Amino acid sequence: MTRVRCAVAAIALLLACVEATSCSAAVLTGTVSSAAEGAMEGVLVSAQKLGSPIAVTVVSDAQGRFRFPDGGLPAGRYALRVRAAGYDLAGPKTIELGAAPADIALRLDKTADLAAQLTNTEWLMSMPGTAEQKRPLMECMSCHTLQRIVRSTYTAEQFVPVLERMAHYANNTIQARVQMRPAPVKINTAVVTKLAAYLATINLSKGPVWNYPLETLPRPSGRATRVVITEYDLPRQTIAPHDVRTDRAGNVWYSDFVENYLGELDPKTGAQREYAIPVLKPGFPTGALALEPDADGNLWLAMMFQAGLARFDMKTKTFQVFPVEGVADDDAMQQSMVMPRSDNVDGKVWTNDVARHAIMRLDLKTGQYQRIDPFQFLPQGHSHAPYGMAADQKNDLYFMDFGDENIGRVDARTGATTIFPTPTPNSRPRRTMLDDRGRLWFAEFAANKIAMFDTKSETFKEWAVPTPYTYPYDVFCDKHGELWSAGMASDRVLRFDPQSGHSVEYLLPRPANIRRVFVDNSTDPVTFWAGNNHGAAILRLEPLD
Amino acid sequence: MDRHAVWWRSVLIAVAALGGMAAARAGGQMTFGDDTNTSANDGPPFFGFVRDSDGAAVGDARVTATVKSGGALVTTSNSIGVYKIAGFAKSINPADIVISCAKDGYKQANVMRRPNSPGDTTDPIEVDCVLQKE
Repeated sequence: MTRVRCAVAAIALLLACVEATSCSAAVLTGTVSSAAEGAMEGVLVSAQKLGSPIAVTVVSDAQGRFRFPDGGLPAGRYALRVRAAGYDLAGPKTIELGAAPADIALRLDKTADLAAQLTNTEWLMSMPGTAEQKRPLMECMSCHTLQRIVRSTYTAEQFVPVLERMAHYANNTIQARVQMRPAPVKINTAVVTKLAAYLATINLSKGPVWNYPLETLPRPSGRATRVVITEYDLPRQTIAPHDVRTDRAGNVWYSDFVENYLGELDPKTGAQREYAIPVLKPGFPTGALALEPDADGNLWLAMMFQAGLARFDMKTKTFQVFPVEGVADDDAMQQSMVMPRSDNVDGKVWTNDVARHAIMRLDLKTGQYQRIDPFQFLPQGHSHAPYGMAADQKNDLYFMDFGDENIGRVDARTGATTIFPTPTPNSRPRRTMLDDRGRLWFAEFAANKIAMFDTKSETFKEWAVPTPYTYPYDVFCDKHGELWSAGMASDRVLRFDPQSGHSVEYLLPRPANIRRVFVDNSTDPVTFWAGNNHGAAILRLEPLD
Repeated sequence: MDRHAVWWRSVLIAVAALGGMAAARAGGQMTFGDDTNTSANDGPPFFGFVRDSDGAAVGDARVTATVKSGGALVTTSNSIGVYKIAGFAKSINPADIVISCAKDGYKQANVMRRPNSPGDTTDPIEVDCVLQKE
């Protein structure tokens, strides 16, 4: 019996070695300190084996100590980096790990360039101005950080043509790859002029330094230090992971917002694979946004300016595309969302027509799309935008009115729309999920809140997120009823218990532009996943409690 | 404060709330390509009070505005029983908007629509609800 146990243990060890790509995994521990503070809590310490796409990060505790997961770092030479606002890593910056445990003392020096370390949230906290003046800046973060604005030297007059030029860029643009909108864009000159005047007051147009103090958020402490974060670098900087989710086997899938690929990642080995999505409109911006499974577990993609939907068969690994035909497919046609969850009910898949602020529904038998204007009875001229979507068991659609302040429901049988304004005006609800209790969890992007709409009682609950200017993009309710959220501004992942009101904010190792968030409920504790849309990386966050 | 005074205080609060709502709309999101606040194209807003049969305010009541041609908007009364709806498309005849109210433990007893001045198409329309405890 003992011999059998030993054999099983040996096989398990062998399998673990294969997964870790090396049999001589090291133990790495250490301390972080600085002359200014002594032992430092809340410093993120990252280790990345040279040549490997995988970086592992842990956080120092109240005594300044950190410990990487046992067996998590295969033997080899590692680059070390830290994240602690106000500090740089003095050394050591590399370490050779072998079979023996290693314990290192990291020394931090005060940074000479604090501005380079500020997140978008911290810039918004620092810069003077009213909420109305700062409000347009939330749009800028879709393509770049606010560093580009505050470090610029444009005067108000010089900013006007810059803003007008940027209005012509497609929303699926990142610094590594700019894409132009194929359709003409109407410029609101008054808005641009007003914004340009404000931006010239917060940048370096009047001198070499900012005329306001730079504020930073406190470093993580307590529970926020008990986490392991893994970053999987993608092979090209032009890959912009937008929606990320795991399948039943634990593999990670992501939509690429800029290139026409569906990505797959094996988190155990770091192995990556891309599946080319057929190009429907050559010369138009490429990339997909929403990634959602249908009732059979196949993945659907909203093809943005390629105008249509794509279904990826998980068994054959092939695409079937559904181009937008039969309705006006002009240069502005864009599908950002797809909702196939209940396509087995009536053979219909929901999507949106971004340019016309409308809902569309694909009939899988005919391949034809039906357009529904959910706002036709509301005051005209207000900005509406059907965005995040969820479908219930009857395939009734719930959608977020990202342009305004509404949750909408479309009856799958009658097409009738019911609009539910959120309690907070101008909330701009963005992405959403529907749990098995009929609760719609969603992010109120512009209100800095996360919220719940009970589809049974038709009532709302809202919770302000703890950090100002977070601008949450999405929220996920896990199996324990805890909420997970993130966005494009704060480089933080929020974990929030709506019952107790307690929250934890996990700082991320690098600037992170996060869109869709996903929680793998098959692990215990749960595992958080997201893409770093501007950083060409997939993020895994494993809380230790 | 007698009931009449309470009613007028509520009216003032509601009017102030409607004014704030219009300001919020006007100062709403700004994007490079969107025009906002074309209130000239909007129909009149709706507002009203939800009370019980004793005249007491009923908060958290679900107020549904149903459009006869299709569609509905659902909002909630606040702690003093006031609800407000920003309005509908100008193409929708306000007479084709039906207001109803509901709350667990209550049934709708009455809906009273206060007439606006003849020919008035812009002033807020007041529709009050009375809920009766079941």
